[in-house]
Amino acid sequence: MMTKEQFLKQLAKGLKRLPAEERQDILRDYQEHFMIGIEEGETEEGISASLGSPRQIAKELLATYHLEQVETTTTTGNILRAMYAVLGLGFLNLVFVLGPFIALIGVLVAGWVAGTAFIISPLLVITDAVVHPGTFQAFFLFFSIMLCGLGFFINIGMFFATKAAADGFIRYLKFNMKIVKGGHKNDDQYISCGFNDKGIST
Amino acid sequence: MELILNVQFKKGVLELCVLVLLNKQDCYGYELVQKISQKIDISEGSAYPLLRRLTKEGYFTTYLRESTEGPPRKYYKLTVEGRKYLEALLQEWKEFTRGVDQLIKEGVNDD
Repeated sequence: MMTKEQFLKQLAKGLKRLPAEERQDILRDYQEHFMIGIEEGETEEGISASLGSPRQIAKELLATYHLEQVETTTTTGNILRAMYAVLGLGFLNLVFVLGPFIALIGVLVAGWVAGTAFIISPLLVITDAVVHPGTFQAFFLFFSIMLCGLGFFINIGMFFATKAAADGFIRYLKFNMKIVKGGHKNDDQYISCGFNDKGIST
Repeated sequence: MELILNVQFKKGVLELCVLVLLNKQDCYGYELVQKISQKIDISEGSAYPLLRRLTKEGYFTTYLRESTEGPPRKYYKLTVEGRKYLEALLQEWKEFTRGVDQLIKEGVNDD
């Protein structure tokens, strides 16, 4: 059982990482909800009980906010913040978000390293020729120049692959969030839902 | 009747309910939440994140209006895009429920 004060305090705490203006705006909505509820004769405890867990509400708002940020400007920091926020929505996400993320990063890093190694391979051959003048063979140089060209193509490919992976991952985060978020009442993945005999009147 | 329904499904339904209510008239948040929770069991707190999202997506605009009992209340108003979105959702909903109803009827007849 929470009073209005306690509910708003917990919500504010959960939204600490949002810009002050955004946070104030959200808190105002819930303040208004309490105020009208009290005017209608409800108790503070009753209102906060039907609102659900302020911590879970904050998590959902945070995740939505960070995903919006990622959509307007895609930076590494933004993606990481969005991922962190989505992770906060539930333990399951640790597996379904962190796993694919690490695998994806592994593949991307491997691609970039291979491409870059190919690009600098002529340098290695030249360095080797300087250090051990006797062992130099023109074939190595030509081969490494070919690798260098190949490396450029690989890195150009990796550039687009990285961009596509970032976009795809953001989409995956959103999809994941849709599945996990919600269920404030019990903090469960699934909650019971009672339709009355009228169903949903439209 | 108690049903166990996927949260995401409920979120979609909540979105539809909010849009339908605002199609009739502008409402303030508390009013929307009350009208919906009278008919279906929702966690009321999640209505506000939904309202914020749909406002940011351009489906609603908000304005403050004085009330007789206290401080001004934030009203939500459906935009033209919001109305279009509602029509698309309603269409989807009708097709969905028609399909499910048919399957249920067939299932019951077979028994």
